[in-house]
Parts: sequence; structure tokens; C-alpha cells
Amino acid sequence: MLRVELTTQLLRVRSLIALACLAAVPVAAGFATASHAGHRNGTQGGLFGASTYSALNHTMASLAFIAPLLLPIAVALPATAIASADRDWGTLRYLYVAPVTRSRLLAGKLAAVAVTTLAATACVLVAGLLSGLALFGWHRFHVIGAPTLTTGAALGRVLAAGGYTFLCMLSIAAIAFALGVLLPRGTEALGAAIAFVVVAGILNGQSALHAVTVVLPVHYWQNWTHLFDPAGAAHLGAGTAAQIATIVLATGLAVLVLSRRDPAA
Amino acid sequence: MEPSTDPMVRARELSKRYGRTQAVSELGFAVESGQICGLLGPNGAGKTSTMRMLVGLSAPDTGSAEILGSPVALGAGVLRRVGVLIDGPAFVPHLSGLGNLRLLWSATRRAWPPPALADALDLAGLGPAIDRKVKGYSMGMKQRLMLAQALMRAPDVLILDEPANGLDPAEVRALREHLAALARHGAAVLVSSHQLAEVQQLATHIVVMNHGRLVTAGPLAGLLDDTSTYRVQVDDGERAATVLRRTAGAATITVRGGEVTVTAPGVPARELVHSLVTAGVGVTAVHQASRSLEEVFLTMTRGDDDHAAR
Repeated sequence: MLRVELTTQLLRVRSLIALACLAAVPVAAGFATASHAGHRNGTQGGLFGASTYSALNHTMASLAFIAPLLLPIAVALPATAIASADRDWGTLRYLYVAPVTRSRLLAGKLAAVAVTTLAATACVLVAGLLSGLALFGWHRFHVIGAPTLTTGAALGRVLAAGGYTFLCMLSIAAIAFALGVLLPRGTEALGAAIAFVVVAGILNGQSALHAVTVVLPVHYWQNWTHLFDPAGAAHLGAGTAAQIATIVLATGLAVLVLSRRDPAA
Repeated sequence: MEPSTDPMVRARELSKRYGRTQAVSELGFAVESGQICGLLGPNGAGKTSTMRMLVGLSAPDTGSAEILGSPVALGAGVLRRVGVLIDGPAFVPHLSGLGNLRLLWSATRRAWPPPALADALDLAGLGPAIDRKVKGYSMGMKQRLMLAQALMRAPDVLILDEPANGLDPAEVRALREHLAALARHGAAVLVSSHQLAEVQQLATHIVVMNHGRLVTAGPLAGLLDDTSTYRVQVDDGERAATVLRRTAGAATITVRGGEVTVTAPGVPARELVHSLVTAGVGVTAVHQASRSLEEVFLTMTRGDDDHAAR
């Protein structure tokens, strides 16, 4: 079923365009800042200020730029489609009589959501790395206001950042998947998922609403950037727990609805 | 095909309710190997609900559905031996016709191609269009592709909901011949349709439903060759009808000009003629009526409506 879902969703034109858009951002940002190669990127600080020092710097700056909004949308797009497209098209009944069991169908869909989320996250990292290599070269990871990182330390932190972002994107993918199962049509689910990301992002910016935002998975999405602070410390435990809790809740809801729904209703 | 004494398709006291609507009520019938069974009924009679339960898409509230002796549930393994067309065609629009067939086949973890793909594609007659995206297909093309999907697996059982929808007369004829050939080779075919003339040419048996209940089930020939109905040519139709209404055993009488159609179970034709002649009505001819399926169907379902109305 995984292959069926990937054939129908990941390999369709709109998914490939979404991936291409994700890849285009690091490339475009690289060209825009190429004139600063080897030097600080203007007056900016943090990851963006150091993005022009090396390929890995550029990769992490690209991830920090894309992860709050563009990447979640690109992840929600296939997740809602995987949940709802076969119902929208009417092919669900023909899968059941093919026959495919409900548990196998569900397992295939969840695996496909994970694969598409991984593909989207990897797309950003690979595009950032390749464009960074071409424009800035392979150098030590530069941290503004701190010594450069060794290659080993930098790779470890980049992998941790990528893995953490993948987990964060899985949480929004799980929410989008649950919305795709719950709402009548895929477009409605996609709209609701995007609205959730935008509204949660706005709420997250309101310090007065801290008590509310700490329960939102979005609140922890950028925590990985502290891996590259001069202090080099990041507390990813709470964020990881929040993402896992969101994934479990959203997936559990989707499974509950799917297992109780009359497929002919 | 494995030898078995079980019917290929069996509905046992199936009941299904959607909210306040009783879609199907205690429905029972069976389809044997070699039979082509027409499932008939007016709109809302419960035909599609019945078919959904037979293929596991809907769980009956009470009763059970069996195919090839195995109980049917959602995604049941026995469905591998069943070709299904239900609720119209449905495809992934951005895949080609062949891509869709491959997708539905590979979903069951079986190696491509299916055993009867060539025959199924031949019947579908899509030609080079089979490699085009389905979103550009006409309704008829989608229907033919869906039929190919049902037939490509060389099924032992076929459950087809309105299979002739969108097909032209030549395609309907080709489908009829294909289904007849499958039945001759031992398949059981259950077809729902509103095209009664088509069912009359195709089916060996019929199941008639109305208001979710079984009206009748049995061999088609037995229902059409009703030995108790006569067409009587007379010189005065209205007077003949008046006389026949007084005759014991005459159940229904209809008059069309000088022809009276009378159904009188257990009453020989000579007694009807004797009654008419004795009353002074001139009788020029008497024929045993050979009714069309349409007439049989309308009589059965109209009677049931009247009954329900009372």
C-alpha cells in the first residue's frame, strides 16, 4: 500500500512542484547572498548572519528560514491528500474490494505520510547543501561570536537539527492527516492545516499567551536553532515530547475515525 | 474453480438501516455457479445497499453475506475472487487507464499482469487511450475501464451495479456476451440494472426488491412464462371485463380495446371462454400471455407499492 500511496501522491505533478519550490528557496537565497561569500551576511546575526561562511551554514540558515511556514505547508499538502484523496476520487471502495484490509490501508497511508515528510525535509537540506557547496564551498561551520565548529561537531548538530525538524514536521503532517480524515474534502483539510500553522505561529509570537502556546507543537519548532548559538546548548526534550504527543494524539484520532467509519456512508 | 456445494453468493436475512431509513430488510437469496442473476427494484429499493453488504463495504445490522462459502467483511480475502463494479467508476485522475488498473491490482500484492487482462482490455476497447490520463476520459470510457478492472482478475463471482451505464448498444451486447461466456465457464454473476430489456436478454435468474424487501426470486423463464395469464380477443372488451370480474379465480383484468388480459391462477382457459360465451360475448382468440420482464417487474413492484400504501 505504501507504493500505491506514493504513486498516487508523491509522484503527482503538484507534489513535485511543491518539492521543487522547497528546493528553490535555498538556491535563490544562496544566489542572493553569494556576494558575501566567506564574510558575514550583512548586519544580520545568528544563523542568517553566518549563512555565507560555508555550505553547512547556508544549509542551516535555509532550514531556519523555511521551517516555520513553507515547509509545514509543503508537508501538509501530501498529508491531507493521502488521508482524503481516495475518498474524494471514490477509489477507496475499490481498494477495499481489491481487497485491501483497513489496517493495511491505514499502515500504508501513515508510512506514506512519513516518507513524504522525510522527502520534503530532506529536499531542503540537500538543496541547501548543494547550493551552499557550489556558492560558498565546504568550510568549517561558523558561529558568530564563538569559535568555529569542528567538522564532526557541526555534522552532529546538523543531523540533530534535521532530525528534530523532521519530527516537528511529522507532527503537522499528523495533524493534517487527521484533518484529512475528519473533514469531508481534502481541500478543506489543507486549508484548515495551513490556518492552524499560521494562527499557531501568530499566537506563538504573543508573549502574553505563553500559557496557551506551550501546548502547541509550533511553539517548539525553532528550538533546534539554539544548537548553533554561541553557547551551543539546546533543550530539545520538551519540544520532542510535544511533537511525539501531537503525533500520537492526531494519529490516534485518525485511526479511531477510520476504524469506525462505514466506508459506504 | 474449487468444487463446492455452497452457493457462490448468498444473502442470509440481510438487514441494514441508515438513520431512520430501513434500506434492506431480512433479504435472502442465493446465486449459484453458472447463473446470471438480475437484481431488480425501483430507485431506493435497496439494491446498492445489498451489493455493498455483499462485498463487505457495509456491515449488515443483522444477517450475513457469504461469497464462495466464506463470510464477507471489509477487505475479506475472498474478495480476490470477486470482480466488483459498485457506485459507478472511480479512478485516480492523474494516472493513465493502465496505470489505474496496475494500481488496483498491485494493491493486493499480486504480480502484474492479472490473468485475464488481455480479454478485459479487449472488451473495454480503449485502444491507445488506455495510456492516456483518466481525467480526459468520457463517462463511457470510464465505465469500460471499470469493467476491465472487474474482469481482469478472471473472477469466479461478479457483482456489477448498473454495468451498462454509459455504454452504447454494441458495447452492451459485447458485455452481455462476455458475461454469458463467464457464466458458462462456471462464474456466478449478480447484476443490478434498470434496463429491464437488457436484463431479460442477459439474466437466467432474477431477484426483485422493493422497499428493501424481497418481492420474488427465481428463474427468469418461470416468471415470464406465467401460465395463468391469457390474452383474450373479444367483440366487446368492457362487457368481457365485467363478465370476467364475476368469474371465480380471475385475479387481475386489464382491457385494451378488444383485448382483455386476465390473470386467473388455476383456472383453465376453456372455463374463461365458456363464461364469456355464455354471457353473450363473442370470443375470437385466446393466447397464453408471454409477458415481458418490464410487465412482470411493474406488476410486482406496483402491487407492493399499493400494499405499502395501505
